[in-house]
Amino acid sequence: MIAQFEVLAPKTIQEALQLISGNPRAKILAGGTDVITGFHQGSSRFIDTTTLIDINHIPEMHAITETDSHIVIGAGTPFTHIVENPGVIKYFPLLAESCSVIGSLQIRNRATIGGNFINNAPCADSVPALLVYEAKIRIQSAISDREMPLADFLVKPYKTQLKPDEIVTEVILTKFDDGYKGNFYKLGRRRGVAISRLTIAVFGKVENDIITDIRIASGAVTPIGMRIAELEQKLIGKPANDDSLKEAAIELGKIILEKTGIRWSAPYKLPVMQQVCYQQLHTLVFGKE
Amino acid sequence: MKKFNVVGKPVTRQDAYEKATGTALYADDYTFPGMLYGVMVRVPASHAIIDRIDYSAVAGNPAVTAIVDHNDIPAQKKVGPIKQDQPIFSWEKIVTPGDVVAMLVGQNETELLQLRDKVSVEFTALPVLTDPLKSMDPDAPRIHPQYENNAIVHYPLRKGDPEKGFAESDYIIEQTYTTQFIEHGYIEPEAVIAIPLGKAKGVKILGSIQNPHTTRKVVALVLGLPLTKVRVVQAEMGGSFGGKDDQMNILSARAAVAAVKTNRPVKIRFNREESILESYKRHPYHMHYKVGFTNEGKLKSMRIHITADGGAYASMSPFVTWRTVVQATGPYEVENVFTDVHAVYTNNPYTGAMRGFGSPQPIFAQEQIMDEIALKLGMSPLQIREINGFKTGSVTASGQKLDNHEVNLSTVINKAVEETNFVEKWQKNQKDNADVAKQLNFANDSEANQFILTKDQLIAPDKTWRKGIGLAASYRGCSLGAEGIDVTSAYLSVQLDGSAYLLCGLAENGQGLRTTFCIVAAEILGLTVDKIFYLEQDTAIAPDSGPTVASRSTLMGGGAVRNAAETIRERMVRSVADEWKVSADSITFANNTVSSSENNKSVTFADACGITYKHKENLATIGFYQAPEVSWEEETGQGSAYFTYVYGCQIAEITVNIATGQVYVEKVTAVHDPGTVLNLQGALGQVYGGVTQGVGYGIWEEISVHNGKIREMNLDQYLLPTSKEIDDITAIFIEGKDEHGAWGAKSLGEPTLELGAAAVANAIQNATGTRFYHNPINLEEILLNRKLYPEDLKRGSL
Ligand SMILES: Cc1cc2nc3c(=O)[nH]c(=O)nc-3n(C[C@H](O)[C@H](O)[C@H](O)COP(=O)(O)OP(=O)(O)OC[C@H]3O[C@@H](n4cnc5c(N)ncnc54)[C@H](O)[C@@H]3O)c2cc1C
Repeated sequence: MIAQFEVLAPKTIQEALQLISGNPRAKILAGGTDVITGFHQGSSRFIDTTTLIDINHIPEMHAITETDSHIVIGAGTPFTHIVENPGVIKYFPLLAESCSVIGSLQIRNRATIGGNFINNAPCADSVPALLVYEAKIRIQSAISDREMPLADFLVKPYKTQLKPDEIVTEVILTKFDDGYKGNFYKLGRRRGVAISRLTIAVFGKVENDIITDIRIASGAVTPIGMRIAELEQKLIGKPANDDSLKEAAIELGKIILEKTGIRWSAPYKLPVMQQVCYQQLHTLVFGKE
Repeated sequence: MKKFNVVGKPVTRQDAYEKATGTALYADDYTFPGMLYGVMVRVPASHAIIDRIDYSAVAGNPAVTAIVDHNDIPAQKKVGPIKQDQPIFSWEKIVTPGDVVAMLVGQNETELLQLRDKVSVEFTALPVLTDPLKSMDPDAPRIHPQYENNAIVHYPLRKGDPEKGFAESDYIIEQTYTTQFIEHGYIEPEAVIAIPLGKAKGVKILGSIQNPHTTRKVVALVLGLPLTKVRVVQAEMGGSFGGKDDQMNILSARAAVAAVKTNRPVKIRFNREESILESYKRHPYHMHYKVGFTNEGKLKSMRIHITADGGAYASMSPFVTWRTVVQATGPYEVENVFTDVHAVYTNNPYTGAMRGFGSPQPIFAQEQIMDEIALKLGMSPLQIREINGFKTGSVTASGQKLDNHEVNLSTVINKAVEETNFVEKWQKNQKDNADVAKQLNFANDSEANQFILTKDQLIAPDKTWRKGIGLAASYRGCSLGAEGIDVTSAYLSVQLDGSAYLLCGLAENGQGLRTTFCIVAAEILGLTVDKIFYLEQDTAIAPDSGPTVASRSTLMGGGAVRNAAETIRERMVRSVADEWKVSADSITFANNTVSSSENNKSVTFADACGITYKHKENLATIGFYQAPEVSWEEETGQGSAYFTYVYGCQIAEITVNIATGQVYVEKVTAVHDPGTVLNLQGALGQVYGGVTQGVGYGIWEEISVHNGKIREMNLDQYLLPTSKEIDDITAIFIEGKDEHGAWGAKSLGEPTLELGAAAVANAIQNATGTRFYHNPINLEEILLNRKLYPEDLKRGSL
């Protein structure tokens, strides 16, 4: 059941920032795919919301711009645009892939990248890819303008560093050199419209049979999407052979068990996370069959 | 075979345009002046005595026009198709969480939804019975104290001497299989409006109703009105699958009671949660099979014990489980059979009719057993079915000889096998995947968890995807069989411009019956389908033709429409022959014209109607069709259960990720003998939908209960297959000859659904070398050999 609320539709970021400042009962409406379902469920996150500020009429909020060194994605860009963007496909293929398996086509036409990580559900599918790419975000308010790594922004499930008067305006991605490769895997119960049981993104570089850089981020199986720094540290400098990958996968299981404790799903998810991690690292190092 | 003009050709559905453009009117699209809404009041318990209901917190509220409960019911307070155990409004007890004690009625539904929690119901909680296997324990809580125990029904079937059969067997396999609750998942949740018409006229019901005549009967009983004063009109249906029967009868009765009390139209509409909460489900079955067979693969004996969880109310359990007892041994000759099927009460959601109706469960068990036997004897699944499968003249478990129709079991199986190259693939997979069983190697202790793997347990990417192919076959009795009276009527009224009204007492539930019946009438009258206008379902016009269930509409309704059209045609032939002074035999009907080969004269169909009218012949009629005799002996389960049968075989080709338990369904080949295919598009639709639901049953769909409460309260948790789940469905029809219905067109709707889960289960065995006994075979089942459920019912996102 949805109570009555007011919807405002600013045309510029400045206007939106003015509207949200000093109105703690206002929330941003992007694709609405979390907001509206949240209203329906009577979610505590939206219980006090009386005003929605619709950012869909602000062109900068859904623009994707590319320079030599960066791709900047407006936080209000729907997934469909990201998935189809040639620059994203070329330079950030894991992001394109992870966004392409979100919900259904209809959901992807509405749901935005900003909404995904601001909602910060454990199963937000774009997050692991953004984390291995070390995405930064730009956060603006009427009186401030700051940038921070996405990893720092995400605090705990459904909680970020966003302040009530702030809007996330951009996702900033820095291009990598050619030596990097990566993989993303989403495991859902079915193929269409699947909430992730677990996701993993791996991204790294192998030089002379040595793993010289590696980034591993998980989603759904950890409380929020996160990089597994302790595991990355252990792998960097290791020979790129089957044994080190197996050790790493098992280590990941131990780390996650430590982070989450034994949840009802653990008998399934923990072993499977190790399998999937091993397979993704294997493919990264040895290539696809 | 007869050459057809319209039958078997692709014909556009009559309702396609409106549905595709969103202009079709469903029950909730209708509003009436002064209309009120009814909102349910429930009790947060699964089993409890109701001590007192205190309405004082809402009684004076201006949003509440009326409070309706059992005290407002003028006549019968409890209803049910066999046992009248289900209250329209509960007043003594709550026996399952969906139960409703009262309804708040008012203009603003949103306000009522907020107010309903303010009604205070004092209750005394009773022990909750959730395990059907404990239902018959002497100390089990009694769900309905008016009955001696929790038994709903028991069907025995006794044939030959099972013990002797086991003694003569070289091998005996014993196995237990279980299946889950299934939600129908009709896209349109329940909606109904009751409109009071005043003392003289009674009440009109407009709703999303599967069986308008049954609804009429229930509402009339509850209101104490004659049938003629309850008029039920069906709105466009957004799916039913067997689900909008009892549930809609009860909602219609609630709305009607409120409409009479307030003298205003009252609408009830459910959202998805409320729909899942209150509506009945497909029965979970617990099935124990003991099968004896010889070295040569010949089945000797079967002993089957099945317990069906009927949930809180008897509903259709006695009918559903009867089909089970007839078909439990599958399409195979077995000399000696001992079957007991029980349905029992629990405090779980109640179970009733759902597409398949007592067949998907035993097929899940018995078609896996056939593969197990093949494996044990080193045969292929095809061989074992060839040895035992029904042929013309075979005798079923109930002692019925199959000799009045083409017994096409081996034809459908062979066609499916050839089409998929089944045997070769099956054998190759069986060899390639022999190593997987070791990998899965489940702990004996089902609770033992291994959270951290060892290196040798990790599976390399090139070893992780395993192919599997699986086959399942079935026979299915058409229509109601010895379950009930099996007759239908159809009203046909030809107009003087050559167009015609048609209406059968069976209802359009989305299956495309309107189009099929128009095809039948058009074929006989030589009309194009667009000349026939199918009327809206209305109990004041259409004669009661029994329920629209059991895949019987094409067969039984087709028979009645054919009869009506033939009657009109005869009258027209008579008149035209007389007018032209030619022999009746020379008259033909085609392409909207009527001609005689004798005088080479042709007139339009409309003109032929004019001639008939001039000859004072009636251009309207009610056609009738009656099923042949069937029989059933209750004590022994022997008899001619159904007057004819259909046969089907489906083959599933899948890939299993043995590291994650994911199953991808690549292709399902469905070969069915539905008799003559009248409506090709409709038939294909039945296959695509039925296969998808069948596969959904096997892999994703499950309603699980925790203390009687449902966990999967919406479609984010209850996982229906999406359009992406099955890559390819190939439908093939073998049109076996039969004398019944319209040109031997029989049944297809349910046969297409009942095989999918079994075919997938057999394919999973083929991919993993491991047999799974508990449906659905989901991620956890494959990797852990059990299900995992969250500890509480709360969602993380709240
Ligand atoms: C059927 C369905 C399937 C789904 N499947 C998936 C899936 O497979 N994977 C997945 O990850 N998610 C899935 N989701 C969840 C959802 O679609 C995503 O999280 C989506 O990215 C949310 O984006 P949105 O634009 O719709 O956010 P909204 O609902 O508009 O907003 C979400 C939250 O973020 C805030 N917000 C949004 N934009 C800004 C901004 N620029 N600045 C400040 N605050 C902002 C809002 O105020 C709100 O609190 C699914 C949802 C549905 C309904």
